[in-house]
Amino acid sequence: MKLHTVLLAGAALATGLILSRAEPAWAQQKDVKAALIAPLSGPWARQGELVRSGAETAIEEINEKGGIKALGGAKMQLVIADAGDTTEKAKNAAQRLLSQEPELIGGAGAWLSSFTMAITEVTERAQLPWLTLSYSDQLTDRGFHYIFQLSPTASRQSELTLPTVVDFAEKATGKRPKTVGMISDNTAGAASFAKWVREGGAEKNGLKLVVDEVFTPPLADATALIQRVRSTRPDFLLVIPSNVPDNKLLFEKMNEFRLGKGVVPVVGNSGSLGAPELLKTVGKDLLEGLIVSVGTWSMKGQEEIVARYKKRTNEPWMTQDSLMGYAEMWILKEAVERAGTADRVKVAEEIRKMDLKDGPAALSLPGGIKFDEKGRRVDAPLVLIQWQDGEPKSIAPADRANTKANWPKK
Amino acid sequence: MASLSSYRRQQWLIVAVALVYLTVALLVPSSYYQLIIAQVVLWATLGAAWNILSGYSGLVSFGHAVFWGLGAYTVALGMVFFNISPWLGIPLGVVVGVTAAAIIGRITFRLTGHYFALAMLAYPLSILYLFEWMGFQEVSLPIKRENPVAYMQFQDPRVYCVLALVLLTACLFTALRVEHSRFGMSLLAIKQNERAAEASGINTLKWKMLAIMLSGGFAAAPGGLYAVLLLIVTPPSVFGVAVSSLALIVTLFGGIGSIWGPVIGASILIPLAEVLHGEFGDKVPGIQGVVYGLAIIVTILFAQQGVYWRVRDYLRGRRGGELTETAPAPEAEPAAPVITLPVGKAGGKASENAEPMLQLSGVSRRFGGLLALNEVALNVQRGTIHGVIGPNGAGKTTLFNTINGFLAPSAGSIRFEGREVVGLRPDQLCKLGIGRTFQIVRPFARMSVLQNIVVGSYVNTTSDAEAEQRAWEAIHRVGLTKEAHVAAGNLTTKQLRLMELARALAPRPKLLLLDETLAGLAEAELDGILSVVRQLCDQGVTIVIIEHTMQAMARLAHHFTVLDHGSVIADGAPQQVLNDPRVIEAYLGKRWVERAAHTGT
Repeated sequence: MKLHTVLLAGAALATGLILSRAEPAWAQQKDVKAALIAPLSGPWARQGELVRSGAETAIEEINEKGGIKALGGAKMQLVIADAGDTTEKAKNAAQRLLSQEPELIGGAGAWLSSFTMAITEVTERAQLPWLTLSYSDQLTDRGFHYIFQLSPTASRQSELTLPTVVDFAEKATGKRPKTVGMISDNTAGAASFAKWVREGGAEKNGLKLVVDEVFTPPLADATALIQRVRSTRPDFLLVIPSNVPDNKLLFEKMNEFRLGKGVVPVVGNSGSLGAPELLKTVGKDLLEGLIVSVGTWSMKGQEEIVARYKKRTNEPWMTQDSLMGYAEMWILKEAVERAGTADRVKVAEEIRKMDLKDGPAALSLPGGIKFDEKGRRVDAPLVLIQWQDGEPKSIAPADRANTKANWPKK
Repeated sequence: MASLSSYRRQQWLIVAVALVYLTVALLVPSSYYQLIIAQVVLWATLGAAWNILSGYSGLVSFGHAVFWGLGAYTVALGMVFFNISPWLGIPLGVVVGVTAAAIIGRITFRLTGHYFALAMLAYPLSILYLFEWMGFQEVSLPIKRENPVAYMQFQDPRVYCVLALVLLTACLFTALRVEHSRFGMSLLAIKQNERAAEASGINTLKWKMLAIMLSGGFAAAPGGLYAVLLLIVTPPSVFGVAVSSLALIVTLFGGIGSIWGPVIGASILIPLAEVLHGEFGDKVPGIQGVVYGLAIIVTILFAQQGVYWRVRDYLRGRRGGELTETAPAPEAEPAAPVITLPVGKAGGKASENAEPMLQLSGVSRRFGGLLALNEVALNVQRGTIHGVIGPNGAGKTTLFNTINGFLAPSAGSIRFEGREVVGLRPDQLCKLGIGRTFQIVRPFARMSVLQNIVVGSYVNTTSDAEAEQRAWEAIHRVGLTKEAHVAAGNLTTKQLRLMELARALAPRPKLLLLDETLAGLAEAELDGILSVVRQLCDQGVTIVIIEHTMQAMARLAHHFTVLDHGSVIADGAPQQVLNDPRVIEAYLGKRWVERAAHTGT
């Protein structure tokens, strides 16, 4: 039957298509290959782009400075894959990199914690060391051996943020804040932060939670949320959103209700609250004084790194995402140097043994590079930034901060 | 009629395709391509499940993610909270999917068309937020280092390909069975014209419920396996619009309403999108979306029904086609049978004082402030042709809808063969022996005349063979024997009318309601139909016919009832009624009444 022939031919064609691609590109160069999986399309594409530009800056610098000396000056090469907008795409990207690039020594990604969860299910089985900036505690609670988490975990960030902020306020105004309001969206990271505050975190810090509003992004109208804030007037407000458009609505509405410009000080937790786009859409006046806890930020000792990055990308400052991308590549480079071979299992061993206090890798993250048995960075300090005069500047940890916190006085 | 041999052939084809997939999965050298093959099979299964409901019944669902997601979350949450292995979790997910489908169907089948499609869209979206609210933003299936096989965790991705293939094969076999049974035929009938299906005696709600439950179950199973494959479940990844639309895209592209559609669609689109994404994803982010978008555009422009139908039509066209007149009938075609029918007194000469077959008294029907039928009284004598005439908007079709149960009368009584029938459903009335045709013929264009009519003959028959035999009988009665295997889309208007007539005749009705069967026919064609109708009457079928062309009616009917503004204004023998001044006024206006009186016609 002809119809069947056509069907079978179609199936054969599809197979051919697959098979033809299956030949790994056995390249002639002996470059050391590191992977980067980041969302380059979809709603998180901008964040992915920032990570990528950071990683590329590092690779360029490494190769400029003579490549990997232990391997006779071998060049380092970045293999990039798009994690897209779904866990399926992210996982496929990881699987594809592993089968097409058998020589990978390690990798980094993929920004959103659910993507990282999916990817590390693959990399763990392949014994590929994987570095990530994602916050979720779950990532390093699964008993995996090949994942290394650079940011303080979500629960650590929430535990450290409130006491630090309360101290700032007390130092500046002379009295401890007593009430706090909270507006969060219901994405994974925000939900776990908010849960901690709600279930004892506020109380532990002597704070009464007077507003607790949750919204589902995208936010259509912030009026109801901000009205609750105005009627209760908390001593400060926690804002835990996840994207720039929602931030814009919240800040504009606060200003409209005359709560902005420090009338109710705002503390946030989200990389999106330090994004350069936020300045363009919201404007520097409305952002002035906003404090945000993040995984890392540009701070003292990184002047050279930041200058190099700015020159290469024309970005106004270096965000958490770019710094992490930069740090991740340097950590992999250091590990290969120590291992003296491009064997991924040995590279992973070296990352586990690592205790870096100096060099570009250590400089890019406050607190040094050392991992515990779960793969979490030991004593990763909380990093706080504050919008001052149209730029988010680091204000904690104190020893590396660029500037001092400026708590608004009423 | 879909023959037994074609059924067998398709079964073998399913096995063959499964084997091809299996071979490919075993041969491809990299775990990445094995993963992609497993995903192709899973998405094909979702498409096939979608097809069981939407492809056959035409009730487009934009919300199949709800079943997929429930399957995925049943597996994930079962494993996290109750340590239930996916081996048990996937069947459990199917139970959840079927239950959800039953609830959703019960609520949503009140709607049809676009309203149904949009309502379905709402379910996964609202459930997505529900799961986020419950704190299930990221559920990861714990890794089992001790006893991975018991928890469906395999090192080799090819095992997942095999598991997915088992699901797909099961789904395709079920779909094939549905397609080749009265279940599938009934769904097709619903797709073409739900009201006509009801009038043909099909209990539409029952079949639609069965279809959505089957579909929900088969969508939940691959959802569960998808969770095992990805090891992480998030609400957007399983309840998101992308899931529902992918089910639609692979099926629309591959071929809607065929078991092969989703298989073809998924086999082409998923690898294509993934390979392009892999090759160019870092330079052209988001290329997958472009592929799916192009697939939709290509489908709309060049193959509205999908690749499968396009290729099939092309091949048939080249070979002269199986469905054309010249092709020998594939099945044994019974020689014109001697039809023995329960014949009453033949020939429209029923005695006037016998009890009427159909008796309406005081039947009224209100639509808000509009009184569409006003205390209509009507007696139809057994064995007669009873014409109901009246100007446009007189309430003729409303009258039919009231008689065959589409509309309940606001007041009054309808007795059929002495039994009160107000409140019965159309399919129940059809079983009692009331058949009808529709003003607008809606044939099942791709099906042959015979298949079109078989749909109508499932009523009151127990076996498919009997149904087919009755269909043949009806075809002979209207004289379409030669055209029995022609695709309905190729018929002339007259032949379509005859086919419609045969469809109504297949369940062997005692009373036939013909709604403007003569409309839009040329004079020459008219005679053919008229003679068939007369012949039916001679064979003992009582006929009520609506028409507004008086001339034809005058030649046909034994008795006239004239409706105007919902009221009976005249009733009696044709000549007498046609001279009634009230009738002339209703049709032509007052001036003509005067003129008629002068000329004495």
